[in-house]
Amino acid sequence: MARFSAGKAPFIRIADEKNQGTQVIMRDFIIGLLPIILFAWYKNGIKVYLEGNVSFLEMLYPLVFILLGGLISFLMEGLFFMITDPKLRELKPLMNKISTSFALIPGLLLAMVLPLYTPIWVLIFGAFMGTIVGKMLFGGFGHNIFNPALLGYIAVGFTLIGVINANGGVMNQSEVLIDAYAGATPLSLLANIKTINYDQLVTPYGTLWNFFIGTIPGALAETGALAIIIAYVWLSYRKVLKWFTPLIYVGTVFIVSWVLGAVVGDGGVWFPLYSILSGGLMFGAVLMATEPVSSPKNPLGKVFMALLLGVLTVLFRYVGNYPEGVGTSLILLNIFAMPLDRFSATIRAEGYNKKSSIIKITLFLLFVLAIAAYAIIKANGMYTAGGII
Amino acid sequence: MIVQKAKGIHIDGRKSMSKELPLQDYLNPQFVYIHLLRQTESLKRVVEVGEYVRIGQVVALREGWGPLPIHASVSGTVTAVKKVWHSSGKMVDAIEIKNDFLGAMDDSITPEKDPSSLTKEQLVEKMKQAGLSGLGGAGFPTFVKYQSKLPINTVIINAVECEPYITSDYMMIDRYPEKLLKGLHYMMASVGATRGVVAYKAYNSHITDVLTPFLPLYPGIEIYLSKDIYPAGWEKYLIQQITKKTYNSLPSEAGAIVNNAQTAMVFADMVEHNVPLIARGITITGEGIKQPRNFLVPIGTPVKDLIEQCGGYIDGLDSTKTNYIAGGPMTGRAILIDDLIVNDTLGSVIIRPIPDPKLSVECMGCGKCADACPVFLTPTEIWHASERGDIEAVKRLKASKCMGCGLCSHVCPSHIDITDFVDKAKALIRKGA
Repeated sequence: MARFSAGKAPFIRIADEKNQGTQVIMRDFIIGLLPIILFAWYKNGIKVYLEGNVSFLEMLYPLVFILLGGLISFLMEGLFFMITDPKLRELKPLMNKISTSFALIPGLLLAMVLPLYTPIWVLIFGAFMGTIVGKMLFGGFGHNIFNPALLGYIAVGFTLIGVINANGGVMNQSEVLIDAYAGATPLSLLANIKTINYDQLVTPYGTLWNFFIGTIPGALAETGALAIIIAYVWLSYRKVLKWFTPLIYVGTVFIVSWVLGAVVGDGGVWFPLYSILSGGLMFGAVLMATEPVSSPKNPLGKVFMALLLGVLTVLFRYVGNYPEGVGTSLILLNIFAMPLDRFSATIRAEGYNKKSSIIKITLFLLFVLAIAAYAIIKANGMYTAGGII
Repeated sequence: MIVQKAKGIHIDGRKSMSKELPLQDYLNPQFVYIHLLRQTESLKRVVEVGEYVRIGQVVALREGWGPLPIHASVSGTVTAVKKVWHSSGKMVDAIEIKNDFLGAMDDSITPEKDPSSLTKEQLVEKMKQAGLSGLGGAGFPTFVKYQSKLPINTVIINAVECEPYITSDYMMIDRYPEKLLKGLHYMMASVGATRGVVAYKAYNSHITDVLTPFLPLYPGIEIYLSKDIYPAGWEKYLIQQITKKTYNSLPSEAGAIVNNAQTAMVFADMVEHNVPLIARGITITGEGIKQPRNFLVPIGTPVKDLIEQCGGYIDGLDSTKTNYIAGGPMTGRAILIDDLIVNDTLGSVIIRPIPDPKLSVECMGCGKCADACPVFLTPTEIWHASERGDIEAVKRLKASKCMGCGLCSHVCPSHIDITDFVDKAKALIRKGA
């Protein structure tokens, strides 16, 4: 007679396999960030160096800045563990804890969405707001309500944006030399001139191709649409994120802003393309809207959230006071992720063909449409299609 | 994603290891132990210690809503009534019979003169007299299904074996293809069904080869090839695929009955030779077994004997780091002492070393469990609702739809026993109601 181990069915777990499990997912996520980080370095460092506008050491700065973000949040989280839990004051248990808590990621993401020349102390403040306030105080990995990086970004964006601008913020050394930009990112330009016109919005930055590649002014890594799409393909292939969330988010923004453009007076397909390629939309859709902890768990909930994100982004971006919509709508929906998850989980469990489910889905879609309609009507009063005048 | 069609996941079958050797008869263990438990019903013992019993003699009775006689599986003397391990993970009373190796048969076991003349009622009565219950794992008394008031036009034989490792149905069909079709034929006759379907996985082309020569003899019987996904052998899934209809609580609402392949074979024996349920096929397999294989054994056989026949455990097996699984690897139970006895629902025993544990990680809410759920539940929500003790929310989230397939735990990247949490939520509903 031999005594065997206890255990619970199912005995076969994917997590036990090599190259599977949460830690592998997080590793894949960081691999997914690589093309975006490399592009950010190219755009803000290498390219500028090749144009002869910065020294060799300055060329390295964008890369160092992003890695520093990761390092800062890593150290903060380690420090937090050491202070709050006496059991974690030795190196081995501490490293185990940090490796299952994925401390690098919030800081990395935060540094990627901050403008170049952001003072380091601002980065530290943002990392503190994200990692300590946004993540650890809520109970650590898996318990945060807000996306930590996003919370840090919002905290910096609403309090210290003046500091960043005073330091030469959004543009890199080469971009500063181009007069046409007049010191503005595409979205702040739009917010200033309130005109939907290709010659005024796109031409100063070249063509839409530049928007696609990402060689336009903006935060460190948010402009590289192409790099972000490469990351999206990789992350979807590795099943780190649900492939349809970014697609629906970006698609909704595309359609609503196309209609918005048409209502204002310019129905060209350039405007929806401009909409999805400028600002942090691509970055937010692929790396922030898919953040698992702070978004709904079930697939229907993810669809619902992506739709809401789409219309809210258009609303905040074109009607709100700031030339920004992605961050605000994401942080707003972080709050509603839980109720949204419960709402959609019930519909899914009931079955889509049930009368109650059809009513709920219809009401939800009407709500989404109402926000879109409100954004379009408001925008119609604020913008003109400049070319005609 | 949005379109709600039945779905599943492909899981590596690990079946080839137990298919290497042919089905082996192991019909004369020294002792057999007839558990005094079927499903959750305790049985009433009708033999005394010291009494001589023959094969097929009634030794216990299942009473209540599904009354069945339970038969001796070997001939010999009743030597004791004692507690032995049962596949439910508990120790239960059992009748110990010491085999005298004479194979003395009860008088009731005689060839039926004209099986084709039996009426529906007589066939269902035979089903009952055979002590026949579902051999697939649920152990539901078979005749109850056949007393349905609703018209039944399809009888489905479930030989899908969607769980990994298990091959006993496959091996039994390989040896007794005609018996399977006969059993199905009589089952169809028991309810006047016109359509009979044998369902198994498409990659088992060997089954098609052995069944095809006999198919013309049994009109109305067809083959359904299922996809290689888990849980393709789930009753509701099979009925949806085959009849294109669905139901709420009972398959008869869709005009269908589903039975396990071995159940049909036992029924064929009963109809033609009056042999009741006394033996079944069982797979002994897993990475911890020297030579995995399948056996045809009397009910009540100690699994230990079978493991011995397989050459024992692999050398150097650390049993404290190994699971001894009664049943399939997705829904089975870990047995702590290797002293299990074969009962009616035990189709496999799997000895499986536990993979090295990784660092445990919190649920990050990736939603893979909700994605995988074949009945479209959101396990994380059910889990949180039941932790809050919110019975209303658990009900709204339809936790009762869960059939316990285990896929949510299977796919969880953080190795969380989420199936278990959903089970607890289901228990909460039962308690609350």
